[in-house]
Amino acid sequence: MLKITNLHARVEEKEILKGINLIINPGEVHAIMGPNGSGKSTLASILAGRSDYEVTEGSVEFLGKELLELDPEERAAEGLFLAFQYPVEIPGVTNTYFLRSAVNSIRKYHGQDDISAKDFLALVKEKANMMELDATMLSRSVNESFSGGEKKRNEIFQMAVLDPKMCVLDETDSGLDIDALKIVANGVNALRGPDRSHLVITHYQRLLDYIVPDFVHVLIEGRIVKSGGKELALELEEKGYDFIKEELLAGA
Amino acid sequence: MAVHTPPQTDQFVELQANSKALLEGISPSYFSELREAAIREYTEFGLPTVRDEEFKYLPLHVLREGKYRFGFGAHFERSQLSTLTLADTDAFSFVFVNGQFAPEASSFENLPDGLEVSTFEDADPAVLTQHLSKIASLKGRLGSTNDERFVALNTAFLGEGLVIQVSKNKTIERPIHILNVVSSDDAEFVAPRLLITVGENAEATVIESFETSTGRAFTCPVTEIRLEKSARLEHIKFQNESLDSVHIANIAVHQEEQSVFTSTNVNFGGHSARNDINVWLNGEYTETWLNGANVATGTQVIDNHTRLDHAMPNCQSFEVYKTILKDQSEGVFNGKIFVYEDAQKTDAKQTNQAILLSPTATMNTKPQLEIFADDVKCTHGATIGQLREDAMFYLRARGIEKSKAEALLVYAFAAEVIEKIGPHDVRASLEAALFTKLA
Ligand SMILES: Nc1ncnc2c1ncn2[C@@H]1O[C@H](COP(=O)(O)OP(=O)(O)O)[C@@H](O)[C@H]1O
Ligand SMILES: [Mg+2]
Repeated sequence: MLKITNLHARVEEKEILKGINLIINPGEVHAIMGPNGSGKSTLASILAGRSDYEVTEGSVEFLGKELLELDPEERAAEGLFLAFQYPVEIPGVTNTYFLRSAVNSIRKYHGQDDISAKDFLALVKEKANMMELDATMLSRSVNESFSGGEKKRNEIFQMAVLDPKMCVLDETDSGLDIDALKIVANGVNALRGPDRSHLVITHYQRLLDYIVPDFVHVLIEGRIVKSGGKELALELEEKGYDFIKEELLAGA
Repeated sequence: MAVHTPPQTDQFVELQANSKALLEGISPSYFSELREAAIREYTEFGLPTVRDEEFKYLPLHVLREGKYRFGFGAHFERSQLSTLTLADTDAFSFVFVNGQFAPEASSFENLPDGLEVSTFEDADPAVLTQHLSKIASLKGRLGSTNDERFVALNTAFLGEGLVIQVSKNKTIERPIHILNVVSSDDAEFVAPRLLITVGENAEATVIESFETSTGRAFTCPVTEIRLEKSARLEHIKFQNESLDSVHIANIAVHQEEQSVFTSTNVNFGGHSARNDINVWLNGEYTETWLNGANVATGTQVIDNHTRLDHAMPNCQSFEVYKTILKDQSEGVFNGKIFVYEDAQKTDAKQTNQAILLSPTATMNTKPQLEIFADDVKCTHGATIGQLREDAMFYLRARGIEKSKAEALLVYAFAAEVIEKIGPHDVRASLEAALFTKLA
């Protein structure tokens, strides 16, 4: 599904990613954990195509295509979805209009006709229900005056509507209370399947109690320094990131 | 500083002289004095030129070169309303064609208790003498920029007009809509006049729309608004005249204590379109919202001047003006805020934003804050620029093509202002009109 090879990236003069290697196969759920500032969002943003970052080395292959050569909208149409750490407010554009534009743009990319109003409504209703989102939010502007929790649920709601192949979730758990966290996790789990992969980025282990990963990677200072199974998350929770850093120093 | 241009032959002075008999026939007799004083005031300066500071960006040569007629009696069918953007608004509607009241095209049955709407001819003379030309006057106020020659020009043609009065403690749920329609074979001079008084603790919504059915015009409206203590008024002005029209409007507002005035000023039309909105805060704890959404294409010039006189303490004002400019169009925003010596704890926030969609479009912005009190919070910000990067990326990351995302954000930029309008049908119609205007 996704193959990241020796990815280096910088912003302005600062090197942030220092050689990331990661292979995600169809159906797998990978978690990336790391302290603040380690480069998690940078990685997610580069995958989605944000232009603020300069890739200096390495490549990313997505479903056989050179991902870094595609525009953000082409990546989305190919099936990549980023749930933003900080979803953007767009006053003046309703959620419905926004989502329908997105659905139809992706359909157009694949040579399909626009979705019918009826099918769109049915789809949106079903997914909004699943994410326990109030129907009135559909006629409100994108993320405007949404609470932190609503914004995060809205991201997963969009993900469910757009039906991507590779889901990248950037700290979708931050700022959520336990009930909202469960709703988000249920939404993600409902989308798990043999043809869809997930990359779950988080600072805390908590989310991984609900979205149980197949693999856990630890990102520190722009490098994946340790990989393992789901038990690695528990170990991190117990001992903290400093323990890994010490382990690394001892090994060096 | 206003440069004194000696009056040459000004067709509007001539037009006024030739229209006297007509105006005398339709209005209270004491109006002639007001008209005469006003034409003298107008004649002193005449039409402004680019040398006049307050009008330097507004091309008005068509007013010198073109020939305008003044006259009532246009042939107008009710069916002509259907092409207008706001014709279907759910409201008590009062249609004026070329400045003349057209009751047969209006619909105002069952006005509720507490709402009185009358033409100048039928209105209580006491109300008229008390307020007409009194609210729309900057005499004696701070600042050196009192250029009110178009108020004077309008008053020089004072004749037909409307008074809306809302009685104390009454809330009028249904909006009141004044449709100013131009229907002419050629070029018409139109001087609409409106007076609105909202009594103590009363509430209402007034929509003024200016649209062209056929032909073109020089429309020169004056609206005077008085809000008594704790009164609330939402005022929506929509200007969508033909692209060869000139529109120069003055809106003057007087607010007593604790009153709330909300203005949404939307301009899509006119070759040269200008609005002056002047708000005088005469009591404490008032709230004023001035919102503007403007789109200019081709060689249109849209020019908005706002003026807030914070004369009393503890008043708040919030101003957001947005302009989208395409092609060779020009936008102007001049925002004056005067905070008088006694107006402590004034909270004034002014934002002006423009998006230029072509390298040949220009925006001229001038915030003008003059503050004579020390304990105040006044902020202003002006941006002329590009679409928001973060929003652009968000849309594209959801699969929306770049060109579509841009169009969506341009639309949203202005829709954000229109969205705040109360009556939802007005909102929907204006959003649709915005979409069409940008297409
Ligand atoms: N646009 C940017 N401009 C400058 N520095 C940035 C930018 N984005 C990220 N950084 C820096 O890169 C580092 C990694 O940031 P980020 O990827 O957001 O980390 P994480 O998501 O793991 O907390 C931080 O030191 C951050 O300050
Ligand atoms: Mg982050």
